[in-house]
Amino acid sequence: LSLRRPTRRDWTKDIYSTNLSPEQIVSQYSSSSSRSLTAHAQRSDVDVVEMDNEDDGFFFKKPSNDTENTLLDPSTMLSDLADKSKSELSPAELDKWADEDMLESIRRLFITAVTETTGEDGGDGA
Amino acid sequence: MAAGSVIQYSGHKYFRHRLALSILSGKSVRIDKIRSEDKNPGLRDFEVSLLRLLEKVTNGTVIEISTTGTAILLKPGIIAGGSLVHDCPLSRSVGYFLEPIIMLAPFAKRPVQLTLRGITTDDNDFSADLMRTVTLPHLQLFGISDGLELRIKKRGAPPGGGGEVQLLCPIVKQVKTLNFVEPGKIKRIRGIAHAVRVNPQFSNRMIEAARSILNRYIPDIYIYSDVYKGEESGKSPGYALSLLAESTTSALFCSEATSKPGVAPEDIALQATRALLSEISKGGCIDQKHQSLVLLLMVLGSEDVGCCRMSQPTPRTIQLLRDVRDFFGTSFQIVSIEDPTNPNSADLLYSCYGTGHVNANRDLA
Repeated sequence: LSLRRPTRRDWTKDIYSTNLSPEQIVSQYSSSSSRSLTAHAQRSDVDVVEMDNEDDGFFFKKPSNDTENTLLDPSTMLSDLADKSKSELSPAELDKWADEDMLESIRRLFITAVTETTGEDGGDGA
Repeated sequence: MAAGSVIQYSGHKYFRHRLALSILSGKSVRIDKIRSEDKNPGLRDFEVSLLRLLEKVTNGTVIEISTTGTAILLKPGIIAGGSLVHDCPLSRSVGYFLEPIIMLAPFAKRPVQLTLRGITTDDNDFSADLMRTVTLPHLQLFGISDGLELRIKKRGAPPGGGGEVQLLCPIVKQVKTLNFVEPGKIKRIRGIAHAVRVNPQFSNRMIEAARSILNRYIPDIYIYSDVYKGEESGKSPGYALSLLAESTTSALFCSEATSKPGVAPEDIALQATRALLSEISKGGCIDQKHQSLVLLLMVLGSEDVGCCRMSQPTPRTIQLLRDVRDFFGTSFQIVSIEDPTNPNSADLLYSCYGTGHVNANRDLA
């Protein structure tokens, strides 16, 4: 068990018993695959606060190299659009769907999965 | 109700759900430091307009706004409902206003018949199409269904607007406890492509482009080309594509992209389609954008344990969970799901004990 990275964390505790901002919690989780960010987030509280100020708001991931952040004036985004319901997907997030493997990766979520990829995904039939 | 208890927040974020929670729980809320550091401090026109709308929908609500507009106090009254008309400012679309109203409307004294005028589709909030095809069906999970309808009478693209929608929402005594843990598999994809005051071929071009990607998955795809003409098409040109995927267990996932200057309709369609795939790939039974609504209604459910399988919470969802605890004292238990068919699944099981919220406003006659 100790060999596995602790990818499954305690959401209940993070949400109700910490003072982390919602964005910090989410960015910790989404970056758990790229450990550098997690380490960064956990290093010190001061760091975390700074991170939050940079992209205070509504990106799901901590966008390390997001061009959008620099294009849009953060203050206008902050002031007027904070309470928006549509989630903004980064161009990178959308572009990855240009990849054939990516498109195939979600085939198992469709009803056609069992018949078309019997060998691979037949296990979860019925 | 509970006099003297005022719940305090700072900042303009999460404004809508906090007001809705206050009215539902009967607890007063005070929000200060609203853009107090901004060059242009205080409430925005759409926030003031929302407060006005909440005043119309309720009876006996007292709203105090400080002279600088950086602090408000809301003492909730009862949710009256009835037939109402509201003109929305052009800074936000009707979706911004509909969202909190939908949280309140089922608990009104009389069924809500609300006409909203303004922008019907924009980049920030749910368009009228998504509201109608995705948000309202989420209410049905909680037993709010008979007579639930959103009519799109006129479309209004930004910046001119000129659209008109009417929300009809029935009232309920209590919402049902939700138990939704089986995501199922996607069986059909539906969509609405609309184009107003531009070449009507644009919607067909969007449909073509979306199908070119989606056809590989399932045959049951139907994207409707919705044509509005003349007066009904609002004051500005624009087009958009809304998509939704429905699973065998009626889980809904949605996405949308709207026209931008200098971007071809095909690219808009591509954006919407990829966003839909991204949403589907997140898994769970509830679309990420609708987490808040579902969780809120779960809290209001009867005194029983409700549970729902969803993807990871968004920052908005996390804040809603925290705010729900402030208003209702209810917290959720959130645990990972071990899915034998998909070990990589990051789905979570959200469960809570319903507060047994009863619609006390309801006309008993």
